[in-house]
Amino acid sequence: MSAVAPILALRKATKKYAGVPAIEDVDFDLLPGEVHAIVGENGAGKSTLTKVMAGVVNLTSGEMLVEGRSVNAQTPTEARELGIAMVFQETSLVPTMTVAQNLYLGQERFFNRLRGIYIAAQQFMQSLQFDVNPTAVVSKLGAAQKQMVEIARAVLHNAKVIIFDEPTASLTPEEKKYFFDLIANLKKRGVSVIFISHALEEALQVSDRITILRDGKHVVTDETRKFDRARIVQAMVGRDLSQTLYGQRKTSVRPQGKRVLSVQNLRMAAMVKNNSLSVFAGQITGVFGLVGSGRTETFKVVAGVAKRDFMHGGEVLLNGRPVRYFVPAAAVRDGIVYVTEERKIEGFFETQSIAGNIYLGLLAKLRGQRTLVSKSEAATVGERWIKRLNIRAISQDVKAIELSGGNQQKVVIAKSLVQEPELIIFDEPTRGVDVGAISEIHQLINRLADEGKAVVVISSYLPEVLSLSDRILVQRMGKVVEEFSALEATEEKIMYAAIH
Amino acid sequence: MIEALKQWTERVLGRGDAAISVPVLDGALKSNRLIEDAEVVAELEAPEDLVSDGSALFVADGARVLRFDGTAAPTVAHTFERTLSALACLPGGGLAIALAGREVRVVGGPHDGRRFDAADGKQLNAINALTAIANGRLLASDGSQAHPPERWKYDVMELGRSGRLIEFNLADGSARERAAGLAYAFGVGAVADDAAWVCESWRHRVVQVGGAQAGRVAQTGGASSGRAVVDGLPGYPSRIAPAAGGGWWLTCFTLRTQLVEFVLREPAFRKRMLKEIDPRYWIAPALTSGNTYLEPMQGAHLKTMGVVKPWAPPRSYGLVIRLDAQGLIRYSLHSRFDGKHHGIVAAVERDGWLYLLAKGPRRLLRLSIAAAQASLAAS
Repeated sequence: MSAVAPILALRKATKKYAGVPAIEDVDFDLLPGEVHAIVGENGAGKSTLTKVMAGVVNLTSGEMLVEGRSVNAQTPTEARELGIAMVFQETSLVPTMTVAQNLYLGQERFFNRLRGIYIAAQQFMQSLQFDVNPTAVVSKLGAAQKQMVEIARAVLHNAKVIIFDEPTASLTPEEKKYFFDLIANLKKRGVSVIFISHALEEALQVSDRITILRDGKHVVTDETRKFDRARIVQAMVGRDLSQTLYGQRKTSVRPQGKRVLSVQNLRMAAMVKNNSLSVFAGQITGVFGLVGSGRTETFKVVAGVAKRDFMHGGEVLLNGRPVRYFVPAAAVRDGIVYVTEERKIEGFFETQSIAGNIYLGLLAKLRGQRTLVSKSEAATVGERWIKRLNIRAISQDVKAIELSGGNQQKVVIAKSLVQEPELIIFDEPTRGVDVGAISEIHQLINRLADEGKAVVVISSYLPEVLSLSDRILVQRMGKVVEEFSALEATEEKIMYAAIH
Repeated sequence: MIEALKQWTERVLGRGDAAISVPVLDGALKSNRLIEDAEVVAELEAPEDLVSDGSALFVADGARVLRFDGTAAPTVAHTFERTLSALACLPGGGLAIALAGREVRVVGGPHDGRRFDAADGKQLNAINALTAIANGRLLASDGSQAHPPERWKYDVMELGRSGRLIEFNLADGSARERAAGLAYAFGVGAVADDAAWVCESWRHRVVQVGGAQAGRVAQTGGASSGRAVVDGLPGYPSRIAPAAGGGWWLTCFTLRTQLVEFVLREPAFRKRMLKEIDPRYWIAPALTSGNTYLEPMQGAHLKTMGVVKPWAPPRSYGLVIRLDAQGLIRYSLHSRFDGKHHGIVAAVERDGWLYLLAKGPRRLLRLSIAAAQASLAAS
């Protein structure tokens, strides 16, 4: 393989933010028609590396070569002209436009016929086996469907190199299969694919070569067949985590305490249909379901983030008392917190400091009891939670946006836990989080249940559901259809219930 | 005025008391077939109650008390002139029995012949459970002041709130009301501090009356004395019996369904149904079902491709709940909709076995508690 000239190469690539290197002296080769996985912990420099290639950020020093020619792509448009397209972790679609309009954005003719682009978009989406309505407005789509549109747009641009940043994080197992087929098709057409994923199994499954980064530096690049999960993890974190993360099946479950939450015959538009479930103290209740099964919506209603049907919407009972929240603050005061799956949109204030974000969480709980905001209290609270959750940052005054995904997630969790909740709902708690942070977040979730809190973990990642939960609820088409004890559950049983 | 407006709004929007919802069978209430698979000890004629004195079981069967002492056939211990509605073994020997719900009588023991037919000036009407407590006293649940025990369906359909907890003093023959306004008192168990746990069937809960932590729980449509120790049950609780090692066995004679909950919120419909339809075919809780095509729920609601769906909304069901001493549900035993062992009204634990009285099929059942626990642990 090394005899073939790379289509894209980086030499001694270095990118510094305010003097701090995000990547340093990285050498990277992408061969024609290969699928190349880049893995590393959050903060390892994967996103920066790929953003350099896609023209989103520019190198501080070093060189980028496309087909052996030194280039300097200053903008994504220039990179696209060089045949490099990137599908971002957070979608870059225009939310107020339709799917078809987004697909053809920047390719419009002088006169546009909407019907024409809808038909073309429909045919194109069908060719990719993506079930997305081209006339739908993007803001109304779920995370998985947005991701599909993003992928489709890159494919549509006929790029020679397509970079996927966490493409499968929001996809269901079925959608993932389609996605992997799509990658295989792109490969056949000679397109080179760069693939960033925290799901190491996916990297092992779809890639030809793997590059591992750690702390902004290149650690190793080798053929995928020479890797296994343990070797990747060890290279990523410099220690062996494979046994602590998803490595062991549960041999016992926590006994259930009192029924903290009872959802009875809940209805919410077409998403939640007559859904009933309970959550008990001192246990982790795992909730699994495919995208669109109404898991997130059910618990958003519980936490006051969304509203159930105005008429005959069912009941939510907290400790036996019927509750109906119109805003999350009321739920927070009653001891319910929801740790969102969309942390960058709903989870924190990105321009606020770590301490500021955590303190805001406390203020939400204490609404009406504070007339003045205390900076010293914010600093104390921030310091306590940074230490408790092991948030890695130079100081508590660092802005949330400057943190890696794992540390941002810890800030979101700290912001919730500072409210001393009785019921904690984690929605995809480790999505887009590196393996080191995943392990820490899992330990934290287990600790909360051990302390007697009622914990809900909504996850699309089956090994996570199996390793964390004491009981597992499977949701399909808007309602819970099956319950398993962690002792009896297997991936096959859960998936069967989720699909059939 | 404000309350009336609130009720009207809730009714229109289907919220609050007008929300037609039922608790789900999940967690410790997850369904299984343990009652359905239980061994049949005896077929009975008209079983009502089941108790044990430690060495033998006594079953109130019609007007007879049957004694099961481990031998093959039961013996008739007593026969009375009227049907029995409740039974209790007294610590000093002898039995306390309730006759047609209207009279409590002591048979045998130091208080032999003692009779009660009223408490606080009110006639006993639907005594359905008895339990002996310290100092020669006896607690009784009087289900309803409006209907006798066999007409319990009328009481649920009329949203009866006239149940009482009564204490009889066997020594001096006095009787006093300890709680009133209960939504069908059905089952009583004695706890420490002179307190008692009473099942309120139509409010789907168990309340504590008396004792250090007693309080007053206000309910819409009436008030009852007591603190809810088990609330939001998915079924209609019946009797409660102590479990070995602490805690309780709580039986539920059937499950709640959305259809019945809906009917209970429709006074005009209920009124017509009570007037025009045979009680056997009411949309109401039942002890047995599936016997005739005239029953209200039929077709695809209950069957798919000719096979009865175990998860279908049941008219009748078999449910026994194991509670710990604080009222937390530890696990449960079930006979689902496709089963026959429905209408469980009493449970007694003895020598590692749990004996159950299934009023629907008129059977005395038993199952090994250790085997049931092992089965639940494996699932």
